[in-house]
This record gives sequence, C-alpha cells and structure tokens, in this order.
Amino acid sequence: MLKKRIIPKFLLRDGRLVKYVRFFDNERMAGNPVSTAKVYNDYGVDELIILDIAATGDPDGASRRATIDVIERISREIFMPFTVGGGVATPEDVNALLRAGADKVAVNTAAVRRPDFVKQTARIFGDQCVTVSIDYRQVGRGVHAVYIDGGREKTALDPLEWALRMQDNHCGEILLSSIDRDGVMEGYDLEMIERLNERLDIPLIVSGGAGDLRHCIDAFDAGASAIAISSLFLFTDHSPIKLRSHLFNLGVNVRAGADSHN
Amino acid sequence: MGAVAIIDYGMGNVRSVANAVDYCGADPVVTADPQEIADASHLILPGVGAFGDAMTNLRRRGLDEVLHREVREKGKPMLGVCLGMQVLAGVSREHGDHQGLGWFDADVVRIIPETPGLKVPHTGWNEAAPTRSHPIFAGLAKSRLTFYFVHSFHMRCRDEADRLAIFEHGGRFTAAVARDNIVATQFHPEKSQDSGVRLLTNFIRWRP
Repeated sequence: MLKKRIIPKFLLRDGRLVKYVRFFDNERMAGNPVSTAKVYNDYGVDELIILDIAATGDPDGASRRATIDVIERISREIFMPFTVGGGVATPEDVNALLRAGADKVAVNTAAVRRPDFVKQTARIFGDQCVTVSIDYRQVGRGVHAVYIDGGREKTALDPLEWALRMQDNHCGEILLSSIDRDGVMEGYDLEMIERLNERLDIPLIVSGGAGDLRHCIDAFDAGASAIAISSLFLFTDHSPIKLRSHLFNLGVNVRAGADSHN
Repeated sequence: MGAVAIIDYGMGNVRSVANAVDYCGADPVVTADPQEIADASHLILPGVGAFGDAMTNLRRRGLDEVLHREVREKGKPMLGVCLGMQVLAGVSREHGDHQGLGWFDADVVRIIPETPGLKVPHTGWNEAAPTRSHPIFAGLAKSRLTFYFVHSFHMRCRDEADRLAIFEHGGRFTAAVARDNIVATQFHPEKSQDSGVRLLTNFIRWRP
C-alpha cells in the first residue's frame, strides 16, 4: 500500500537555509542546505522540498545561481526525490532545475500570472514534474484567498477552486501552505485539507502548522497524502526518524524505516 | 565488468541515475553513442515524461535499433526504469495510441484505482512484491522492498510469466518485469535510498 509521506521543507535565501514565522517574521539562519540534505538522506526521510524565497524578483540572477549550485551539490549526495521551487516562471527555469538534479519543480506565482504555464510545463516535462504550490490566508469568515509573490500579493482566487483548475492543467501534485499557520506550530488547517481531499484526484501535500505528533496524525486522517514540515525539525528535538517511528508505532501508514541506516 | 551506459535520449533524470551508479562503485557513461553503448557491459534505460515523446526521441536517434542489437541480439543486460520500462511494451494509450519497442507483450494504460479516494499519479513509497525470485532482489528482505514510484500509467502484461513484481494501489499493478537479460522497474531505484542502491548494485553485478 502507498505510504503517507513526511517531507522536510527547506527555505533557501542566497544559498543558506532560513526560517520564518507566518512567512515574514522572525527570520533565523538554519544552517547549510547540502549537509542538512545529506543527513536527512542518511536518516532515510521520504522526500525533500526546497523553496528559494529570494528568487521572485531576483534582478541580477545571483540568488538563482546560488540555488542552482546548491541543487547540483545536493543531488550528488542524496538518493531520494526532491522538489525545488521559488521564482520558477519559464520552461527554461524548469529545465535548469531539472538538469541540476531536481525531480519536481514547484510553481506558484507564475501559474497565477500565466494560466497556461502549468499545462505547457506538464506537456514538455511530464505531469509528475510539476507541483503547484498554493499559499493562502483566511480573509473572512469561511473565506480564503490565494496569495502570490511569496505571500505579498492577494488574489481573488479561492484555494480549492484554484487547486481544481491546476489539476485540470495536468499538474502532478498540490502543495498547499497556510500562511496563517506557518511556523506557529499549532496544527494544520484540517478543514481545508478535508475540503481539498474530497474534490482532488491528485495527491495533496500540506504545509504549515506541525507542532506535535497529534497534528501530523490529524493531517493524514483529514486526507493529506503528505505533510511538509519545517519548524518542527529545525527548532525542536523531533527528528524525521523519531517522528516517523512514533507515527508508525501508532498505526499510521508511513514507511517503517527500521533499515534506513547503513 | 565494463562501463554502465545510461541511455541519453533527452528524457529522464540521467544525472540522478549516473550519480547512483557511481555511488554503487561502477563507472557510469551517459550516452547515445552506439559505440559507447556497445562497449558497455550493462545498459540502463531511464525515462520521465510522455510515452509518445520517448518513442519519437528513441527512434530519431536510432536508439531503438542500437538497443535491439545490443540487448535482443547480443544479450547485454538492460535495466529499464519507469518510462524506460513502459516503452518496452507493444503499445501505450497515453495521449492517443503509440507503438512501443514491443519487447514485451503488454500495453500501457492509465492507472484507475478501484478504491475511491486513492490519488493518481501514484506518487510516493510503496511495496513491490516479487512474484518470483530474481538476482536484482538479492539481499533485499521483504521489509526493504519499498521503493519510490511516481507515475500515472501502468504496464499490463499479457503473459503472467513476464511480471516480476506487483504493487497495490486500489488494485494490483505491475511494479517490475523481467525476461532473459532484460529487467525493468516501474519504480525509481535511484530515488529509493538504500533499497534502490542495493537493487542497482545487484543489477550491475548481474551476468545473465
């Protein structure tokens, strides 16, 4: 049976790992991305997500080049899938990341600005290569809005409607991130996960809110195929292996991982 | 043991496969050159993307003929991965009907899970259950036979003897096929950490 996935998520700025609360507050340095990726590979984590947050509006391309260099070095060290996103706007951007070693590319702002970008990318590189990343906030009672440009610009799109449109455009997966819950470690947005799971035919990765085991179990029960985790691993003593091991022992359908060490 | 040629037809994560082969201690050569392919002791056919494009690219570079000569006539061991497994079938129904290499009596169709709520593409770690023994599974206990899959189509073998392993996703689907000097996996060994590294190592050591 297909396992539920636990996916550490890294944010990169100029080639270094960083972390925030609610996307903008409380920036902290979080280490070397290549050595961290290698450690996670040796631990046997399921997958990695790496988002370059400086990339949208990177005028001289310096941040983008630093990212490509990091991706190339990471891909020499790890034998598991990883997704890279951040400022991906053209097929050339996608190609550069895939050639550098990424398996999937996450697309966010460009998908909204150019509605056929996802379909075009999926046609050239395959559905499985394209993950559509959707950041959203609650903006009223029961009302949510998709935000683009690293959470800076509000759109009139509802996350579920947008996810369904992107599914129709042949993306392989949705990565749904709650800006409100990012870094707060008080649980995932379970209602939104259930709403999307009910209507989506493609896998759903959710991000934003993991603070303890219970949050992870609830997110999987609500229908997430995978959970992306950042703060929990960087700033508490939870490790991906301990987390997965606890979940496995509680009967959650994750990889057993007992043999993951050499 | 000679080099391991990783067939480069413009589709597929050749770098990841090459990195993994290198990690296993072998000598990877990413190539479309008939001589380098002839000089290699083992071949790997990777692939990510659409079936129709893959066959067009293989034919355009004359690789269908090269592979037929090296693998079908000369008996060189070959490992097909993901789309590199599916193109071995006779026909695929992805975006219209496309002819494959026809090395296996099989077709490739969309995955339709019988259980509601299961998602496609089939993405993530799943168990591959062997239906018989094979050198590529040497040293891999049942608990380690979990690999990374990411695909929307599956290969249906008309001859059950060609199937080597199955996976479950609201139904039983082909996870691997094998006959004589050819073996192929739907999952990605180069993305499956130590289980995948072991499988690749087994392939590289295989003398069929």
